[in-house]
Formats: sequence, C-alpha cells, structure tokens
Amino acid sequence: MSLTMNLYLPIAGNSVNCVAIFGLGGAVGLLSGIFGVGGGFLMTPLLMMMGIPPTVAASSDSNQIVGASTSGTLAHFRHGNVDFKMGFLLLLGGIAGGSIGVQIIKILRQLGNADFLISITYVLMLGFVGGYMFLESLQAMRKAKAPDKAQAAPPRRESIYAKMIRSMPFQMDFQRSGIRLSLLMPLALGVLVGILAAIMGVGGGFIMVPVMVYLLRMPMHVVVGTSLFQILFTCINVTIMQATQNHTVDFVLALLLLIGSSLGAQVGVKVGKKLGGEQLKILLASLVLIVMFKMLYDLLVRPDILLAYMGGH
Amino acid sequence: MRKIHHYLIRLALFLGILVLPCLSLADTIGSLSTTPEHILMGAQYDGLSLKVNGTVPAGSDVIVLFTGAGSELHLREKGKVFGLLWMNVGKVTLKNVPKVCLVDSSRSFEELGKVADPYRLNGLRDAIEVEKGSGSGNIDIARELLLLKKDERLYSETAKGVILGADEGASRTFAANMPIPSAIAPGEYQVEAVAIKDGAVVGRYVTAVKAELTGFPLWLSKLAYEKSMLYGVLATVIALVSGLAIGLVFQSKGAH
Repeated sequence: MSLTMNLYLPIAGNSVNCVAIFGLGGAVGLLSGIFGVGGGFLMTPLLMMMGIPPTVAASSDSNQIVGASTSGTLAHFRHGNVDFKMGFLLLLGGIAGGSIGVQIIKILRQLGNADFLISITYVLMLGFVGGYMFLESLQAMRKAKAPDKAQAAPPRRESIYAKMIRSMPFQMDFQRSGIRLSLLMPLALGVLVGILAAIMGVGGGFIMVPVMVYLLRMPMHVVVGTSLFQILFTCINVTIMQATQNHTVDFVLALLLLIGSSLGAQVGVKVGKKLGGEQLKILLASLVLIVMFKMLYDLLVRPDILLAYMGGH
Repeated sequence: MRKIHHYLIRLALFLGILVLPCLSLADTIGSLSTTPEHILMGAQYDGLSLKVNGTVPAGSDVIVLFTGAGSELHLREKGKVFGLLWMNVGKVTLKNVPKVCLVDSSRSFEELGKVADPYRLNGLRDAIEVEKGSGSGNIDIARELLLLKKDERLYSETAKGVILGADEGASRTFAANMPIPSAIAPGEYQVEAVAIKDGAVVGRYVTAVKAELTGFPLWLSKLAYEKSMLYGVLATVIALVSGLAIGLVFQSKGAH
C-alpha cells in the first residue's frame, strides 16, 4: 500500500505535497514569531514556485496569517507583550490608509507606469528600513560591548523629533509600551503604513515594525506582539474580501500552512525571547535586506520568460 | 424535362449512397480509446498517466494530442524600463489559447516532415490571436506563451512515445501514455490521434475526455463559488480557532 502525501487543492487548481507546504508554513511562522511580521513577502513567492497561482497564493497566505498571528498574539499576550491600545489605534489608521492606498493605485494605473513606481517604492523602502535598522542595531551592540565608554558619554540632548512628539495634543499613556505620546501619532503612522502596504500589495508588517521601534519608540518585544495583533485584523478583512469577491482563498492550502506556521510561530516566540532586542533588530534587518537584494536582482537581470500571470506581490 | 430532372436527382442520390461507405473506409480503419475514460479529480488526484490506445491504417505513423478548449488569457508583459530595469510594462490579451496541449508521436517530427507541423506546439502560433495593450513592447508573445505554459507543464512536445504494433492486414495498433498534469482545470478535453503515411494525413480519430472534481474537492469548490461569504467566514473562523488551539496547547505544555 502506498501512502501519498499529495493533496489536490480545488481552488488553487493544483496538487501539492503536504509535507512541503507544512514545512514552508513552519519556516515562515518561525520568522513571524521571532520578528512580528506576517511573512507574506516571503510566503507568496515561495508558494508560486510550488505551482500555486499568484492570486490564490496571496489570498490563502492572508488566511493562514489569521491563524499564525492568533497563535503568535496569544503567546506574546501571555508574556505581556501586546499593547492593545496602541494596536487598535494603528489598526484604525491602517484601515484608513489602506483605503487611500487602493485609490492611489487606481489613479497610478490610469496614469500608467504604476508597476514601475511600486517596484521602486518596494526596493527603496526595503533598502532604507533594512539598512537603517542594521546600522543602528550594529552601533547599539558595539556600545553594549563597551559599557564604560557608554557610561562616560554625556547625556544626549532631546532631539527635535522628541520635542515635536511631546508638544502634540491628545497626549496619552501607553502603559504596556511604557511611553506617553499623542494618539494622533499612531493614527497618522498607521495611515502612512496602510498607504504603503496597499501600494506594495503586502500586509505591511515589515514596515510597521520599524515604524513602532523608531518613530513610536516602543520596546522591541512589545512591538512584535502588537504588530502580530494588528496583522490579525488586517488579514481577517483580506480573507473575507478575497473569498467573496475573487474566490481565491484556498482554505485547505491555508490550513496546511497555518498548522505549520502556528507551530513555527510558537517556537519563534521562544527563540525571540532568548534573543536581545538589538539581536532581533539586526536579524530582521538582514532578512529585509536579503529580500531587497533579491528584488533588485530580479529587476536588473532579464527574466527567462517575458510573460507573467496577473496578481501576486 | 421535369422527369429527366427527377431521374438525375435519384441517380445522384443512389450513386451517393454507393460511394459514401467507400469514402469513409479510411476512417473506419482506425479507432481510439482512453483509459480511464474520464479524469476524476478527488483529494488524492496528482495528475495521471492517460493510456491512449487505438488502430490506424497499416504502415502509418501516429501523432497523439491531448488538448483543452481555447480560452482568453490576460497576461502581464515584462520589458526594460529606462534601459535598465526589467518589470511589467504592459498587458497582453491572448485569444484561443488551449488550456493544455500535450503532443507525442511515434517518430521524430523531423522524420515525419512538414505534414506534422500543424500538430506541433509551434502550430498553435497560427491559431492564437494576440492583442497588445498600451506600453507593450516588441517581443514574440506566442513564443513567450509557449515558454510559460511549458514551464507550468501544461504544454509539452515529445517524440517516440507512441508505440506502434505490427501491421495486421489493413491496420496496426498504437499505444501511448499521456502524462496529464495535476494543474489541469475541470472541463472537457480532446484526445486526437493523427495517422500519417507517406507524407500525408490518412486518418484522424478523436475522442472526448472529461475531467471533473469529485468527493471533497467538489464539495469545497461548490462552497467557495456558490456560498462564498459562508466560505470566507468559515475559513477565517477555522484559522482563528486553529491558531488559538495551537497557542493553548503550547501554553499547557509550558505550564508543566
């Protein structure tokens, strides 16, 4: 008797190897648990390489992120690392920004060359975010190795940005993050990330995390949990919209991925706990830079086939 | 005069009845069948090897084709922007593109000669209509389409996979295994055997093969397309519950 590990997926219209899909989910879930990113920017291209149509890959990935981020949020919540107040404000901004971004994309497509703008935005954003995080974390780690010098350094003057944050109206405490700032800040940054995510066609986790760290100045561990909490809601919305309007959610594919990714996310949270904040940042920065270089390579080298299906990231 | 006219018509009909069986003689020396007759796509479906058997006139070579109905396809075309970056530059609409096209023959296509050309993958170039959108470049769209479909294993052209039997009187048998990919869509497909002898087509035999969903894939597909809101909500709820369950399992493990 032969035991086949292949399963036919009627919505994706192809058969997949369950072990390979489970492994893929586990690997991306691990990254999601460690860094608080949805992992869509990695999962979708890998699913496409396995023969899944781009639109089904992107939608089913959103469905599995619902499961993975639930598991990840729960794990981070138990460790006290989810700032719900901040998460809700960012989410509100993100939803508004997403709607604005969709309209911007429509206008850009009418004007032509929207794809050029999307590709360039993607590479520049990844390059800037990854590069900045990498250098900043490297500096911080070097300083940590030389504590005497750090202690001897004079206290830093308050930056213009810090003064601006302090002078904004509607100040409130975010106890979980241990910060006090205007509620307009997370709302406005949520809108900005929502616009960028909609333009690039991704969940936006890899932009949201640096925004929380550097612009909202939240501690890294709270950032990861809060980011996952926010991604959960974004992906619920995408799953239902894609299932009803485009019929591109392959629930079986998503289920296989999410079993792998939920387990991976749990392991990722434990791994993340063992790593320091700066180590986490430098690893995420490296991941973002690797994706950026891959995209740049794809832009510079002639593709083997000059036609492609619509959809995908 | 009218009577003569009637006689002539009757004579023509009579001759026609006599001649008709002779004309169809070439087609009656030949048959085509497939095993299985229908492709059932259940949960374990992972493509299959479709056995094609039949008879053709003695001394003939055979080309076997497995094709899907032509449909419209919208694709993105890649090109260079500012002479540096490769990215999507335009949209292309292709009409009459077979969903799948698998070709095999009993002899190399070069040996079969020009008569085999229309049955090769390159023969599709004439049938496919290309509509280029704005921003479209100057690439050979049909060539790129063949490359794309070959990459997906939905188009293939092989030779010498059709096994011929010895001549037995006026006919000979043939057999081929067509590797049906797992990515074919449910629908009607056509299997065709073309008999070629002395540089000419001496027989064409066609049979239909239906690919249909069955079991769990059929149920899931109906739910996704006919009750899409319920499907979307169920997919979300199951993902949420699974994520929570796995989270709780890890929590209980951590508690011990």
